[in-house]
Amino acid sequence: MFQGLAFSGKRDSKSALASYQHALKLSPDYLPALEGAAQIQYDAGSVGAIPLLKRVLTIQPNDVTSHAMLAVLAEKNGDCPTAVKHFSEAGQALESQPEALQGYGACLLKLKRMDEATQVFQQLLASRPDDPRCRQALAAVQLAAEKPQDALGTVQPLLTSSADVGTMQLAAAIFEANKDTPNAVRILRDAIVKDPSDTALYVDFAELAIDHQSFQAGVEMIDAGLKLQPDAANLYLARGVLYVQLAEYQKAESDFERAEQLDPTMGMSAAAQGMLANEQNQNDPAQALAKVRAKLLKKPDDAFLLYLQAAILSKMAAEPGTPEFRQGMESAKRSVKLQPSLTAAHNLLAKYYLDAGENALAAQECRMVLQQSPSDQSALYHLVIALRKSGKQAEIPDLLKKLAKARQESTKQEGERNRYKLVVAPANRRE
Amino acid sequence: MTLTRRSFVLLSICTSAQRFLGQQQGGIASRGIKAQAKPAPSGRPFNAEFIDVAKEAGLHAPVIYGGVDEKKYIVEANGCGCAFVDYDNDGWIDIFLLSGTRLEGTPPGATNRLYKNNRDGTFTDVTEKAGLKAIGWANGVCVGDYNNDGFDDIFCTYFGQNRLYRNNGDGTFTDVTKEAGLLQSGPALWGAGCAFVDYNRDGHLDLFVSNYIRFSFENAPVPGEKSTCNWKGIPVNCGPRGLPTGRHLLYRNNGDGTFTDVTKQAGIDVAIESYGMTVVAADFDEDGWPDIFVACDSTPSLLFMNNHDGTFREEGVTRGVALSDDGMEQAGMGVGIGDYNLDGHLDLFKTHFIDDTSGFYRNDGKGNFDEVTRSAKIAVETRFTSWGAGIVDLDNDGYPDVFFVTGSVYPEVEKKLPQFPYKTRRVLFRNLGNGTFEELESQGGAGISAAHSSRGCAFGDFDNDGDIDVLIVNMNEPPSLLRNDLKVKQNWLKVQLQGVKSNRSAIGARVVAHYGGKTQAQALVSQSSYYSCNDPRLHFGLGAAMEVDLDIHWPSGLHESYRRVAGNRLVTFREGAGVVPNRGWSR
Repeated sequence: MFQGLAFSGKRDSKSALASYQHALKLSPDYLPALEGAAQIQYDAGSVGAIPLLKRVLTIQPNDVTSHAMLAVLAEKNGDCPTAVKHFSEAGQALESQPEALQGYGACLLKLKRMDEATQVFQQLLASRPDDPRCRQALAAVQLAAEKPQDALGTVQPLLTSSADVGTMQLAAAIFEANKDTPNAVRILRDAIVKDPSDTALYVDFAELAIDHQSFQAGVEMIDAGLKLQPDAANLYLARGVLYVQLAEYQKAESDFERAEQLDPTMGMSAAAQGMLANEQNQNDPAQALAKVRAKLLKKPDDAFLLYLQAAILSKMAAEPGTPEFRQGMESAKRSVKLQPSLTAAHNLLAKYYLDAGENALAAQECRMVLQQSPSDQSALYHLVIALRKSGKQAEIPDLLKKLAKARQESTKQEGERNRYKLVVAPANRRE
Repeated sequence: MTLTRRSFVLLSICTSAQRFLGQQQGGIASRGIKAQAKPAPSGRPFNAEFIDVAKEAGLHAPVIYGGVDEKKYIVEANGCGCAFVDYDNDGWIDIFLLSGTRLEGTPPGATNRLYKNNRDGTFTDVTEKAGLKAIGWANGVCVGDYNNDGFDDIFCTYFGQNRLYRNNGDGTFTDVTKEAGLLQSGPALWGAGCAFVDYNRDGHLDLFVSNYIRFSFENAPVPGEKSTCNWKGIPVNCGPRGLPTGRHLLYRNNGDGTFTDVTKQAGIDVAIESYGMTVVAADFDEDGWPDIFVACDSTPSLLFMNNHDGTFREEGVTRGVALSDDGMEQAGMGVGIGDYNLDGHLDLFKTHFIDDTSGFYRNDGKGNFDEVTRSAKIAVETRFTSWGAGIVDLDNDGYPDVFFVTGSVYPEVEKKLPQFPYKTRRVLFRNLGNGTFEELESQGGAGISAAHSSRGCAFGDFDNDGDIDVLIVNMNEPPSLLRNDLKVKQNWLKVQLQGVKSNRSAIGARVVAHYGGKTQAQALVSQSSYYSCNDPRLHFGLGAAMEVDLDIHWPSGLHESYRRVAGNRLVTFREGAGVVPNRGWSR
């Protein structure tokens, strides 16, 4: 044991670890040896530290350092539930560890424990009040936690003339979430002036334009971006989306193809083209289906194309038991398997299951959507229907309340979106 | 660590069809969805042809309703209903048409109108003689014999004071609103749909009234003032969104000519966040007690299920008739009730706003509904704002068809956007007999393709020739009276009911007809379509079948069966007494 300490003092980790391990063979619960070995393994980022730390905690359950170390290791391994459990036990050990705090906060975010995440990032900012990255992170978390007013208060000190483009981009999102579209547009335009080569800013503007049905204004801004960045695939993709809204399908198709040529790895162009085929061929679903299937031949594992295929078959009102129905359902199943975050596909699969009388499976899909998006009206509604058909009434009253709240919120948001229309120069907005 | 506002622009197009087009609807919910692709035509002939004979029939007076070229307030836009009512019990159905007025003042001739059937295809305006002259913003009408004296009475809803007219049995009516206890106090209500319904089965018709909006001219925003006052970028009348919702009312008939407001004790007041429109009361779960369906505009529609103890529970969402099949609000306006798939259960059809499909709901017999709009191929039509509707067998082939009338609420839009005309055609879906429907664009006659801005419509056989004709309210135009001229005669049966223990009108009765291997349910209701009331004689097309077995479920709970009833005639059944002579006309 003392040999281990001596080697540690000489920064000979390898020999120190061998000494500690030897000591532990003789006395497996010898705490100093456990702590020493764990420290070396932890510093090396080795998972070998984990059993050692657990043994320490068996002996000293309140050892905050071991909890902190286990938390950091779990967070690095992507095991957020375990990380959060240990972070919460680590207490004071985190105060001097900003990286650990950030990891704690990130895990809470992943677990959608927004209020706790906000508290952790507040703690982080308190420990480094002058670090703009900490302030930016807190503002972003507050925005994600749907507390846009708090986010605005947090980001405000950063909005000086020297604000970086990333901060301005975040601020634009925060202003928009606060229903202050004029300021969102202003700051986004300022950011574009500051860094005209950042194509993400034009895409953000396009999204704002879509939100406010100002599709032509979006096109004009993307045009400006393309003059400076003529090979930016994401700008072509965004403009294609805007053209779809304007029902200018040929232009949209041309933009999607150009985006795919410029960046074949982008992966979204094929999906966009599939969506276009669906939009363009509303009165000819067979044609839309053929186009989507052609895309699927090239990209058989594209979750969005699979979703589109299922959606078109569903729109064609395929009856349960028919080959089309089975194919639609299988396509939806594959889509959610390939991209579990695609809530539209989960909702569609839930509808397939409902139509097929598979109510338990429908409920399962709805619950998956609600994990990601608790206010999703389709998922709430389909879950109500699935539970009613299953004879499981107990949960329904609570779901009905949630659905009513979601509807009210949706109506309110729709009104807000309609408040502003975006136009490109000379005026930026009109009410 | 930076979170971007949205990470994936493609999400925008995922929702584009619904969300972005949906945003353009201003104050009225519409999902902004595109029509389902039309299947290939069946090639089968349709044997009914509709000719508008209103002019020849003497229905000349226009239905005055708000501004002609523009409508400042929503009060001017929604229009009113009509009724086929045999007020003089002569066996020939008469016509009752509601009317509105104008903001600048009531023009001459603006009144509700009663037309007596002359039994020769023409009508005589007897409004003044009957004591029914009335001006104001009338909306809905329901007809029933609330005092069980053998003569049908009329209730009208208004923006303002609703009115109950007692039929005196001598060709005249008396406004008994006050003595019946139906005078309203406080700010003006906007009475919308109404239904006579014997909810407590005491043999007396009670009264349900839906209210649309809490509206006042003083506080109402004007076109363009708010986000809910624009449509397709053009300033239009505001609402219903952005305006406070109405509150629905239930009045219990005390059996002595008076009513008591039992809204609260019956549990009706729980559903306050709704813009109520057409009301249909029928026994949807077949438990012998009437339930109440309220189509609601831009809010979930309501289904009040009867608890058998004088109270109701609202279960529209859970039972699948409140929202679209993707859980969204729709602009519910008109309601058709019938049995489209011949399974003996009452299905519902609900009309909506432009850029949305109508809603078709299949009843499982227990009052649970599945939306079948798409599988029934009804979703092929989204071009029109749609109103009065019926599930009615128009060609007597034994399969109930779907008919509805349409018309925009924004006359001013057409000048700037001609693709959105104010006057639009009628819509006819013929039942193909396999659970699907076929929209008939060129068949059905000139009465179908004629463009008007229509609202209420009523279905009935005004010329007693054994088919269903249609009376239609057109905004600021004379009504249409679509006479059905069948090209090929098929068999039919009309059933008239007289309650004894039940209310005299037998409103709430459910009749199940068995013919030619088919089973069809119909309900006797006092309001359906849009704010309107149909001919009370239930009409069954029989196809080739000559005889019918009937199951009559009376509102009192009595169930009677009749076997081998011969077709091609009107048969009157008295509760507990069997077949009795018809009143007036018979065949």
